[in-house]
Amino acid sequence: MKTKLFKGVKNKSVGKEKKAGDIPLLICIFLMVCFGCVMIYSASSYVGEVQYGDSLFFVKKQLVGVVFGALAFFGVQFLPYQKLIKLKIPAVAVAVVLLALVFVPGIGVTNYGATRWIGFGSFTLQPSEIAKYAFVIFAAAYFSKNYEKVKTFRGVLPVLAVGILFCLLIIAEPNMSITMCVGLLMLAMIFLSGTNLKTFALIMVPFLIAVPLLIILEPYRLQRLSAFIDPWASPKGDGYQLIQSLYALGNGGLFGVGLFNSTQKYRFLPFAESDFIMSVMGEELGFFGLAAFFLVSGFIVYRGFKIAARCKDRFGFLLSSGITLVYGIQVAINALVVSGTIPPTGLPLPLISSGNTSLIITMASMGVLYSVSRSN
Amino acid sequence: MSAILAIAFIFCIIFARFFYIQAVWGSELVYRATDQWNREIPVIAARGQITDRNGQLIAGNRTTYSVFVRPNAVTETELCALTLSEILEIDRIELLNKLSSKKVSEITVARQVEKEKIEELTARGLSGVYYSRDNSRTYTYNDALCQVLGFTATDGTGLSGIEKYYDKVLSGENGEIAYTTDIVGVQTENSKIVYREAVAGDGIRLTIDMDIQLSAEQAMRSVYQSSGAKKVSCVVLDPNDFGVLAMVNYPSYDLNDVPREDTEKLNALSRNSLVSDIYEPGSTFKVITAAANIEEYLRGNNKAFSPSYVFNGSRTRSVDGTKIKCWSDHANGKHSNQTLASALNNSCNPCFTDIALALGKDKFYEYLTGFGLGNVTGLDFNGEALGMLVPQSLVRDCDLARIGFGQTVAVSGLQLACATAAAVNGGNYYVPHLLKGIVSSDGKKVEEYKPLLKQKPISEQASRTLAAMLEGVVKEGSGKKAYIEGYKVGGKTGTAQKYEDGHIAAGKYVSSFVGFFPSDRPQYLALIVVDEPVGTYYGSAVAAPVAKEIFEDIIKIKNIQRFE
Repeated sequence: MKTKLFKGVKNKSVGKEKKAGDIPLLICIFLMVCFGCVMIYSASSYVGEVQYGDSLFFVKKQLVGVVFGALAFFGVQFLPYQKLIKLKIPAVAVAVVLLALVFVPGIGVTNYGATRWIGFGSFTLQPSEIAKYAFVIFAAAYFSKNYEKVKTFRGVLPVLAVGILFCLLIIAEPNMSITMCVGLLMLAMIFLSGTNLKTFALIMVPFLIAVPLLIILEPYRLQRLSAFIDPWASPKGDGYQLIQSLYALGNGGLFGVGLFNSTQKYRFLPFAESDFIMSVMGEELGFFGLAAFFLVSGFIVYRGFKIAARCKDRFGFLLSSGITLVYGIQVAINALVVSGTIPPTGLPLPLISSGNTSLIITMASMGVLYSVSRSN
Repeated sequence: MSAILAIAFIFCIIFARFFYIQAVWGSELVYRATDQWNREIPVIAARGQITDRNGQLIAGNRTTYSVFVRPNAVTETELCALTLSEILEIDRIELLNKLSSKKVSEITVARQVEKEKIEELTARGLSGVYYSRDNSRTYTYNDALCQVLGFTATDGTGLSGIEKYYDKVLSGENGEIAYTTDIVGVQTENSKIVYREAVAGDGIRLTIDMDIQLSAEQAMRSVYQSSGAKKVSCVVLDPNDFGVLAMVNYPSYDLNDVPREDTEKLNALSRNSLVSDIYEPGSTFKVITAAANIEEYLRGNNKAFSPSYVFNGSRTRSVDGTKIKCWSDHANGKHSNQTLASALNNSCNPCFTDIALALGKDKFYEYLTGFGLGNVTGLDFNGEALGMLVPQSLVRDCDLARIGFGQTVAVSGLQLACATAAAVNGGNYYVPHLLKGIVSSDGKKVEEYKPLLKQKPISEQASRTLAAMLEGVVKEGSGKKAYIEGYKVGGKTGTAQKYEDGHIAAGKYVSSFVGFFPSDRPQYLALIVVDEPVGTYYGSAVAAPVAKEIFEDIIKIKNIQRFE
């Protein structure tokens, strides 16, 4: 429905720049980042002390990310977001190269049986984090230029092709959750481009076939799936992570055990400071604490779409929608994983989880979103 | 619009899912997780004490400690292994291997460690080492009463004897110290410590009189040595309620140093033969036959023999075509013109054959049952033997004739002692018992055992008559060696040949004596059984003097006055 608004609108550069953008969004983002640091401290202080002899180990790492993230956030303010259109091809190229580098021995870093990182010394980077945004830029740029073609299958094909290429590279790592994330993002972007339902349905069919196919292809996914259905069938194996997450949530109850009082952080819950930080939040702050968190997350998504709706240009609309979607999809998938609603996969909770690549890039993307809000 | 609906839908699913987990499922999840969050150290309840009837401590506890190690919580494994092995005197290499394996969350390094060693250990301040109190049972009298008391396992549970039979009373309820730890058992900084107190076990007060017990132990030890017997046993009963005053089986073992390595030896030495083993009683059994006759005579049964009846003086009786002989050759004329009293004095077999046959199997079996034969006595002890009594429906006259003087029948020592006690105490058969009372753990309340009258096989009068006759046996008959000047001791000797694989084992006898005093109002009854004495084997010579020795001790201990 919203897409109809843009039927007559052509790309035009916006001359005047407003000084202030969406202040509530700005506040929410920085609240989230600060909250993230507190939660990381709570979740990781014990593990940090035991494993690295420093209870602030993970917090210090995260603060580095916060600094760079803030720099990125404010840095993009000096760059009119429309310039990102030009990055259409370079962004995809860089993303593909980085994703491919993962598989180069000596550069790719393997952890927990998956090669998801590239490393140079102590610096590690997760290319799939970049790929999500590269895809958003590419899709937004392509659809804004070729909006007349989107009603045909041929018209959406380039976006589909790039999306599938990314998906294939990411799934090969393997990283099921980010693949899902990119896949969903692709569908959402195509949907938002204003394509007609027939074309959209045509794309959906192979996509729906792909999901079970991917599960069958790799037996470990099937194991995880069964662990998800009954985690107590293998409490020490595949079910372990989920059981520990559920214990944390259950222990939290409605009101939580209080900040810093988590029991599960005593090395019971793996990835407590990263992918499963939401379990610790649920344990310490309870259901109501999590509900508040979801409301703030929801508010960020709401502001994001609001910014998109206010955009006078198609690129700005698609770009800010895409950024908002990346954030929203990640929060939702993370919540569903932590609560055992969908099979466990490794996906950080944006702005909260420990992990610099994710934090810096998410903050940069939020910077772009804010930048868009300032321009419209 | 549809996009907003989709987002709202996902939002609702997430909310609902988290609400379900945290509000509905929460308590069950916490219940399941509690196990992984907590580590427990048991606090062993103090085991109840065992005392004799006068409150004399027989079995008590020494506070000792168990030492546990959580390998994951140990910071310096080498040092920990070295220190523990030094102080606890255990193998260092083996301990080091155990500590190095981080797979095991907890190792019990030692149990029953003395307090001083624990103090020494705590002073070293080793991390990952924990202590908890346990009990070491200590027995005041080492091997005295050992088969009755029984022993405990290293973890404190009763394995035999009273320790086993009254284990539930004695053991109490263990407590625990639970505290929160991390995944590998390291205590967390803000660890919540929950202490559940142990409930001490109640004490057992036995009917045993330790002074009498020790006297009996001494007497049995010397007869064991002097007679060269395989084993000897003795039970002293209070005939008025069948409380066991002393119970000795010798050889024995030291309760403070149980020979646990040698199972066979331990099984043999820890067996309470008086309760669990049976033997052919021989002449001591004539007490019961006599009792049946006197009671029947008093009831006016004309088949019973009057006390003045003179039995046929022949040495043999012919029953069912078999010849039954007296042990004596009847050559010196002692066994002629015998009344019941003199038949008892002389222990003449044919007279008792006459009684058994005259009463007939139905009547005679009534008495056998009445005196508790062929049935357990009901003593509060595990593994009581039934005895062997030919079933009434199968018994032939030739069997009955022999049962009359204590053959073709097997009893436990306890069964015979109880039957005799009932025959001489006025005719009351009680349930024998070792428990005098249960003492609450604080020692304030005592739940007294109430004697239980089981049956009344004979009348008061019959009992008095019989007791008087048995006093005669000690005064002028075969029981002379139990006679004590100035005291009315009654009794009956017994010498039975042993059977092995269904044949009489040549030269193997069981010599016994059952005695009691004062005979007109019995307060003490003792049964002495000497199994396979070497050389002299008559009960009158081997067993009767032992009863005298014990009775004399009792007289001294209890300061009992002469009857005159």
